[in-house]
Amino acid sequence: MDNKEKISALFDGELSDVDTAEALNELQANVNLQKIAADYALIHSAMQQDDSKLTSIKSQKNPKHFNIWLTNGITAAASILITVLILNQSSFSRMSVNSEAQDMLSIAINSTEAKSLIDSSENNLVDHVLNVINDPNYMNSTGQNIDLKNVGFAIQNDKRRTFTRGKENFTLRIEKKNLGLKNVRYWKHNNKMIYLVPLADGTVVTIYGNVDTQSAIEIARNIKK
Amino acid sequence: MKTNVQNEDDLLIQKVKNGDEGAFKFLMTKYYPRVYASLFAYTKSREDSEDLTQLTFIKVWQKIDSFRGDSAFFTWIYRIAINLAKNHFVSSSSKKDKVNISSDDLEFDIPSYDNPESSLMHKESLQKIHSFVKTLPESLKTAFTLREVDGKSYEEISVITDTPIGTVRSRIFRARESIINFINGGDEDHG
Repeated sequence: MDNKEKISALFDGELSDVDTAEALNELQANVNLQKIAADYALIHSAMQQDDSKLTSIKSQKNPKHFNIWLTNGITAAASILITVLILNQSSFSRMSVNSEAQDMLSIAINSTEAKSLIDSSENNLVDHVLNVINDPNYMNSTGQNIDLKNVGFAIQNDKRRTFTRGKENFTLRIEKKNLGLKNVRYWKHNNKMIYLVPLADGTVVTIYGNVDTQSAIEIARNIKK
Repeated sequence: MKTNVQNEDDLLIQKVKNGDEGAFKFLMTKYYPRVYASLFAYTKSREDSEDLTQLTFIKVWQKIDSFRGDSAFFTWIYRIAINLAKNHFVSSSSKKDKVNISSDDLEFDIPSYDNPESSLMHKESLQKIHSFVKTLPESLKTAFTLREVDGKSYEEISVITDTPIGTVRSRIFRARESIINFINGGDEDHG
């Protein structure tokens, strides 16, 4: 069985433990085999889709585009952990498989620091933001009277304790732990924004609503607890 | 050759749980296109799909120890992906995170989420692959379809087609090679 056939069998979960370990080692060292594995994945994905139900994305006549697509599978996958670990992205090209990116990925996955970062920081962060979106009571749990009149926001005494200033409105929560944040991070959820602003005293302010970034920073820095 | 596992990915999943980086990279490679395609069907947005696919694999990486094998591995991943998509949770900061946004550096734009001009795969290309598979020699087509569409193991295909497992493995491999050759613009050699 040549190594390409072995990757095909690996893809199907049809190798023994010893052969799997051997195939993974070969894969690790061979960019061509990585591309073949990505090709198999794309074929697999294509075969799972019912062509009668497909949505046309773009009329495209040039079959060469497949090559770009096939390449993207690996690079996009490689970018995942690099994104997670917030490594330097400047040398990473999304359009080509390069050994540097693979090396970075390898180092990233191996690193104890990386696992620790993911476990402690990103996990908390993702869960926190999901709570903001999903749990209607989550943003009400600060339990503090917060005065934002100095930046022009008045509080509406509804259940969500919404702050308003003209068309701007938001709810707010303060974490006593910093969630591993050193810089401002923000997400978009439908038509609302979620801002996490770390403050000098080690707390983190979460702002969820219709405010722009500058307002969010202004609000966070002017909170009188 | 065949290991005694209930799930085709069990061996790899166990290796990932034991810290095998190669196994994780392989599983990520294996399922990235399917996760992306599922999310694209849901969001109709390339950027949203990319962000959500990334988040999905972050979750997979974080939660792999909680996968007990009660469902197929892809089903488990799919559930994570769709839950994220339902929340329409899109990290618009991801690109900025890579350059470490400072609270003093507010000169940034919120990315827009337009429908893509191009995507991983388009309808015409998928239809071509499906059409090409139909032209494969019967022996290759049967083995490949039983594997890729019906999810049969090599052993099951061996029984169904009354063929040695080694031959089944070879036929599936040759079918894949033919399809890759076809989509890369080569001749329609059916191996």
